[in-house]
Amino acid sequence: MIVPFEHLLVLASLLFFLGLMAVLVRRNLIMILIGVEIMLNAAGLVLVGASALWQQVDGQVLVIFLMALTSAEVSISLAMVVYLNHRKQTVDVRAFNELRG
Amino acid sequence: MDSRLLFLLILLPLTGGVFNACFGCRLPRALVALLAIGAIVGSFGVTLLCWPLAAEGTQVTLFTWLASAGLKADIGLFFDPLAATMTLMVTGVASLIHIYAAGYMEHEEDQARFFALLNLFVCAMLCIILADNLLLLFLGWEGVGVCSYGLIGFWYAKSENALAGRKAFIVTRIGDLFFTIALLWLFSLLGTVNIAEINQRATELDPVLLTPLVLLLLGGACGKSAQFPLMTWLPDAMAGPTPVSALIHAATMVTAGVYLLCRLFPLVSLSATGMAVIAAVGALTALYAASCAVAQREIKRVLAYSTMSQIGYMFLAVGVGSVAAAIDHLLVHAFFKALLFMGAGALIHLAGGENDIYKMGGLKQKSPLLFWLFLIGILCLAGAPLSGGFFSMAAIVFAAFTRGDGFLACLWGIGVFTAGLTSFYSFRLLYLVFFGSYRGKKTAHRLSPLLIWTLPPLALFGLFGGLFNLPHFYGGHELLGAWLGSTPAKELPLVTELGLLVLMSLFFVAGWLPAHLLYRNFEVEAESSWRRFLLQGWRFDALYEWLVLRPYRFTARFCFIAGDKGLIDGVVEGLGRTLLHWGGYMRQLATGQLSFYLQGFAWGLLLMVGWLLLKAVV
Amino acid sequence: MATYIFYILGIIAVVATAMAITRRNPVHSIIYLVNSFFALAMLFYLLGAPLVAAWEVIIYAGAIMVLFLFIIMMLELSPGERADRQGPGPLQWLPVLLLGAALIGCTLLLLKLDPAGSQNIPTWYASPRDFGYVLFHEYALAIEIVSFQLLFAAVGAFYVGRAGGRKEAGGIK
Repeated sequence: MIVPFEHLLVLASLLFFLGLMAVLVRRNLIMILIGVEIMLNAAGLVLVGASALWQQVDGQVLVIFLMALTSAEVSISLAMVVYLNHRKQTVDVRAFNELRG
Repeated sequence: MDSRLLFLLILLPLTGGVFNACFGCRLPRALVALLAIGAIVGSFGVTLLCWPLAAEGTQVTLFTWLASAGLKADIGLFFDPLAATMTLMVTGVASLIHIYAAGYMEHEEDQARFFALLNLFVCAMLCIILADNLLLLFLGWEGVGVCSYGLIGFWYAKSENALAGRKAFIVTRIGDLFFTIALLWLFSLLGTVNIAEINQRATELDPVLLTPLVLLLLGGACGKSAQFPLMTWLPDAMAGPTPVSALIHAATMVTAGVYLLCRLFPLVSLSATGMAVIAAVGALTALYAASCAVAQREIKRVLAYSTMSQIGYMFLAVGVGSVAAAIDHLLVHAFFKALLFMGAGALIHLAGGENDIYKMGGLKQKSPLLFWLFLIGILCLAGAPLSGGFFSMAAIVFAAFTRGDGFLACLWGIGVFTAGLTSFYSFRLLYLVFFGSYRGKKTAHRLSPLLIWTLPPLALFGLFGGLFNLPHFYGGHELLGAWLGSTPAKELPLVTELGLLVLMSLFFVAGWLPAHLLYRNFEVEAESSWRRFLLQGWRFDALYEWLVLRPYRFTARFCFIAGDKGLIDGVVEGLGRTLLHWGGYMRQLATGQLSFYLQGFAWGLLLMVGWLLLKAVV
Repeated sequence: MATYIFYILGIIAVVATAMAITRRNPVHSIIYLVNSFFALAMLFYLLGAPLVAAWEVIIYAGAIMVLFLFIIMMLELSPGERADRQGPGPLQWLPVLLLGAALIGCTLLLLKLDPAGSQNIPTWYASPRDFGYVLFHEYALAIEIVSFQLLFAAVGAFYVGRAGGRKEAGGIK
């Protein structure tokens, strides 16, 4: 390891927190998805760091799965965004409140 | 001869009934009637064929019906002299009535339903008679109840008919409840439901328990046989078609109670109190029904009350310990009462559907043959000397007299007095219907020959039925009594016996004379409150309405309002309302805003991380 | 030295991400995010995962971000360019340029430090050979499952896209 693992964790947490902020604060569906991407990447960073810490390949393998998962998620979500935009001509999450009780 | 042939007795009507029920509506009318008649006549034939089996009593088991934890009930028959006699009577009378019904129901709708029910009724009745255990007997017992219900309400489109059916069903059901309790109690005491075994081991029972047991059995018998206090259903049951009244409510089903008591006589006779109550119930019902019959206007209701009264006699006979007299009267009564009912049906046809005897009259000219046949029935009913009814009734009255204690002497007095009343109302009926001039306005319907020609055999049996059990006094041998294996009646001094006979004859004449004077040239009868009281059957219906129905309805209403609406609905709806109320608060959490939900995730994450941190620190 | 590069890259990633999530214009966000992902890829390399680093660039910065960009443009989600202006001002392009320059600087520095990749800068690293061995030996079943997931995602996306296209016919049933 070229840096202490704690520093790496701090970096990953920062990134994760930024992603979470994007998810919570932004009203644009696209931006929320971007926030999710950021969080997933932060998780990937921790996995790779762990892989380096214990010198095992498994962490990296998990990152590959993470990427596959992310691409699947993104393709579906973006298709949904297109569909929702078709319905309401907007991507503002406040417009989609049909689930209100 | 294979004794399993006996099952044909039950299976033939069952098959006929089920077949008619399933396919009857697609068959031609004549075929439906023919099938039903064939099944019953076949059953009658089998009875004759199996007659020799009865002499020493044949027990035959088809298969075990129920067997669990000590309870063992077979589909098994017991064909002894008592059962054989009853079977012969039931199948014989039923055959004639089926033939009669084919004529009577010629133009009715739903013939298939009628004959299916009639066949099923015979099947159930034979089940009662032949069952070798109380459970199978109970099956038949309920079966006749159901068929009776269906047949009383046969013309269910008129609501009063349906109501009469319901009344009969419910009132008999009260009796059935007593019978059920008795049955279960007997099983718990003796561990068996087999009738022969129960009778054999009856002496093992605690004498203290015997009386309530007998009273419970009496309750069941009272319900089916329309005895006091469960007698109110029988007059209303006349709403059914006349063949039904003849078969079910005169000849067979109503005698099931008597049969039950006879069947369990070894058990019943052990309780002196029980016997006394049975005798008292019989005598009181006989008097009550006879007094009601005096004022009735509908021909079938007169006969219904007379049936009740005659069955009262049978109960009296059982109560004084003379099974042979009870069965003898049962048989003779079945014949002449079926005859009277079928004759009444023909008369109603003849009067154009009118059943008020005040609007009949002078029918003798219209059909002399019917008059003579009906006269035979009336003579038997009234107990005219030397007719079948006279002998059987006299046997009962003798039996009551010979026992000779004060209580029975009192009942004997009631019985003799009732005989006079019976004679009076019988002749009142005869005079009102056949003598004088025709008072009705309706024109006669055509009489199917079937309606007439099924009557003579019944008249014959009714008239000479007494000969079967002719006492030694007349040079007879008490054949029926010997066949049933009961102890012959105690010999009385010749003078006493003669005196009793003369007394009976006197009461017969005492009944006949006023009827002759009052009703020979009847025009119109004055209304009186006394007469109305009798017409309404001593207002027992009103009494029960007041005593039972009102409190029942009140309780039901109370249960409905306080229990169902207040308690159950209150709890259920209150729970629902509370949940709804809180749900309203919960609902505000579901804003539909995606970011709000995501915040939920975030807070959850924070909580989890916080928890982990806390654990790491502490 | 490599440690400093690590921290610099970390700062680049955080700054680029922070810029990405605060932009009003989604296209700008995507550009910053691509920067951030490049920095992450470099970090992966430094942590001894060259293959993952390559995929980070190809899949994340390449495919996924391009997909985002494509959707944003297709739905015309970015505020339109104003006719009276020449293009984005320096406030808009300068930060991304600086970040990009810093990234390139780091890359060049790393290349200079270790031209042949033999100086043991990642103290341990998983060669693609080792990586592939583990992946297809121990995780063969997972690979199958993930590939199915991708297939389902493709089918789902196709269906949702078609349903969205047929809005007039009633949308998703």
